[in-house]
Amino acid sequence: MTAIYSIFGRISETIEKLAAIHRLLPWILAFALLLPLPQILSALFNDYYIYLANKICIFILLSVGLNIVKGFCGQVTVGHVGLYAIGAVSSALISLHFGWSFWLAFPIGILAAGLAGIVVGLPSVRLEGAYLALATLGLGESVRIMIAVTPLFGSSTGLLSIPAPTIGSFTFDSYTNYYYLVLAAAMIGIYLSFSILRSATGRAFMAVREDTVAAAVHGVNVTKYKLLAFVISALYAGAAGGLFAHMPPGYIHHNNFTIIEMVTLLLMIVLGGIGHIWGGIIGAIIVTIIYDQTLEFYFYQPLLFGLTMVLIVIFMPRGIGGMIDRYLATKKFIASQEEKSNAAS
Amino acid sequence: MSIFNKNFIAAGMAGVFVAGMAASAMSADIRVGITMRMISENGQRYGQMVMDEIDMINESGGINGNMLKATLMNDECKSDKGVANAIKLINQQKVHILIGSTCSSVSLPIVDITEKAGVPQIIPHSTNDKITKKGSAWVFRVPVSGRYYAGVNAKYVGENIGKKIAYLCAADAASQNDCDAMQSQMKSQHGADPAYVAQVQEKEVDFRTHMQKIKSAGVDGIMIAALAETMARALTQSYEAGIPASVRRIGSSSASNSPVPSIAGDAAKGVFFAAAYAAADSRPIARLFNEMVKKRYGVNSPDHDFSQAYDLVRITEIALKNADLKLDDENLAADRTAIRDAIANVKDYNGLASGPISFCAAATPQCRDGNRTAVLIAYTKGGKDYKTEVLARVTMPIDFGL
Repeated sequence: MTAIYSIFGRISETIEKLAAIHRLLPWILAFALLLPLPQILSALFNDYYIYLANKICIFILLSVGLNIVKGFCGQVTVGHVGLYAIGAVSSALISLHFGWSFWLAFPIGILAAGLAGIVVGLPSVRLEGAYLALATLGLGESVRIMIAVTPLFGSSTGLLSIPAPTIGSFTFDSYTNYYYLVLAAAMIGIYLSFSILRSATGRAFMAVREDTVAAAVHGVNVTKYKLLAFVISALYAGAAGGLFAHMPPGYIHHNNFTIIEMVTLLLMIVLGGIGHIWGGIIGAIIVTIIYDQTLEFYFYQPLLFGLTMVLIVIFMPRGIGGMIDRYLATKKFIASQEEKSNAAS
Repeated sequence: MSIFNKNFIAAGMAGVFVAGMAASAMSADIRVGITMRMISENGQRYGQMVMDEIDMINESGGINGNMLKATLMNDECKSDKGVANAIKLINQQKVHILIGSTCSSVSLPIVDITEKAGVPQIIPHSTNDKITKKGSAWVFRVPVSGRYYAGVNAKYVGENIGKKIAYLCAADAASQNDCDAMQSQMKSQHGADPAYVAQVQEKEVDFRTHMQKIKSAGVDGIMIAALAETMARALTQSYEAGIPASVRRIGSSSASNSPVPSIAGDAAKGVFFAAAYAAADSRPIARLFNEMVKKRYGVNSPDHDFSQAYDLVRITEIALKNADLKLDDENLAADRTAIRDAIANVKDYNGLASGPISFCAAATPQCRDGNRTAVLIAYTKGGKDYKTEVLARVTMPIDFGL
């Protein structure tokens, strides 16, 4: 365990050192390091793992987005998967019915999800806790039902043959090619999440999370920031949805956006640690891999996932991210104490 | 223990893992991947039937001396899970043939995966006609396509029941397809527009409002297109609403599934539907099959999803016997092509299906919808010990519905 903490400690130090040179340097380096992953996975294992890497990148985008509203701003939402569906269906429809390029359809899908984010966020102005969870759950499920019963949105057959993105003659029609797109999207999503967290907006989100009354007293427009958190989170979900829709084989169905997907997403951020960006990323990776490795034990999967969630809440309420944070804080404290005692002696 | 030793052990374990994976991929078995809906009691039985039949082939010596190695995965009737299963089975298990899926909404995207990877895909239960209309050279369908079922149903309804029909359509791909195709056939064959149409959720529980509206519309018949449990609830509520038995209840193809009469009880009596197999079939092969299913799975009158699972394994067995397989890694693509061509050469297979099943080489629905014979079945008794009768058996023209 200490070895794992130590690795995270070293990674954290290296990132800080690189960021001191230029704030984008760690991100560019990480992107460059992850670029050959499909070739490595293909050589060591097989192409299935490239598909899995694509899914992980999409889930990272989703969980990082959910963390903004849930982790940073403290708003309980269970309707995130509905926004993911809106992004997916909007982008797919625009591509299929108007024949527009992915590069136009994708941002429109993100915007559609952002607008829907306002609708999902509106109850947060008056509701809190379990009531807000119920309201967002209802909205999320309504989206799925609407897709299921509307022929234009694919209804029961789903939307077929959604075109893959292209740049000139280069088509993102294989999982290897698509990986470069989802990796870039995930990296940008993580970077923006950190930027938001460190900005005045991020601090306002955290103030709302800690105490809405105290935040309001200190001049934070609580309603505005609650809605903003929902909208930003929805933009992430819309982006993830658009990427999911255009990923080969280019097919979406309302069954891809059920409450089970929402619970899986929640497990990712609970395991990773609510409010920790890295935690959400780690959660997305771990849950996707565990889910994949237990595919053949399908009768026990819901039990396994349910039990994991309960055990984490009891024994690791702050998730993996919280444990790492605690370790790093303890390490810094010990170092500062040692420094003080050295200076005194 | 020194760091060197730790690293050495880790490297050794990784080596064993990689070698194990490589060895498993290099065995001379014929690898069969299966992705099906294993979430309902019946779904599990269909999957189990495929596995049991494969085991029996192995027990009797395999195919030309080679054993079948089957991997069954659950797609929960979800397209993303089905796609993940297919990619995993094709790339990781390196299967020679893929069987799946139960649900049309899962089979549809998998067709693109198998076409791209060059893996023969044989479909056990999905009826949506778009599956073979995609034009993949790698897909074969054992069940009767939805386009044929609709033609048979519409002909019988228009000639024997009436033209004023109400439709209750659930939001799953197969039911929606059955519903749309039936409406279209009623229009083209009899010039009849629907008297009432309502779309309901896949797992809807309350149909009373719709039933009251249908009752006041004074229809000749009600088509209920839904998965088994949903259909059973709708049938029961149609009687609770006071719609008389003289208004005939028409089921979609899933009416053949045993939960319909079991759950609906007396409300199932008189319901008729088009299916690929009738448990009331008097042929010796059907009698033996019924006994076998009762003994193995405790089901009194097996529905067509059992018979289709059985027929699929038999057709696969014939094709594999006729294919010249090398069964090594270098020839995987060639073996897959040989199996595809061997399935395309299956002609006039006479099994449990109500008519012969034939495939051919062209990547068209005419060649890949191998089963064109639908049988019209009616329930004469509901409940656990339900009984059926055969109303008609119709082989449709090859181009019908295209």
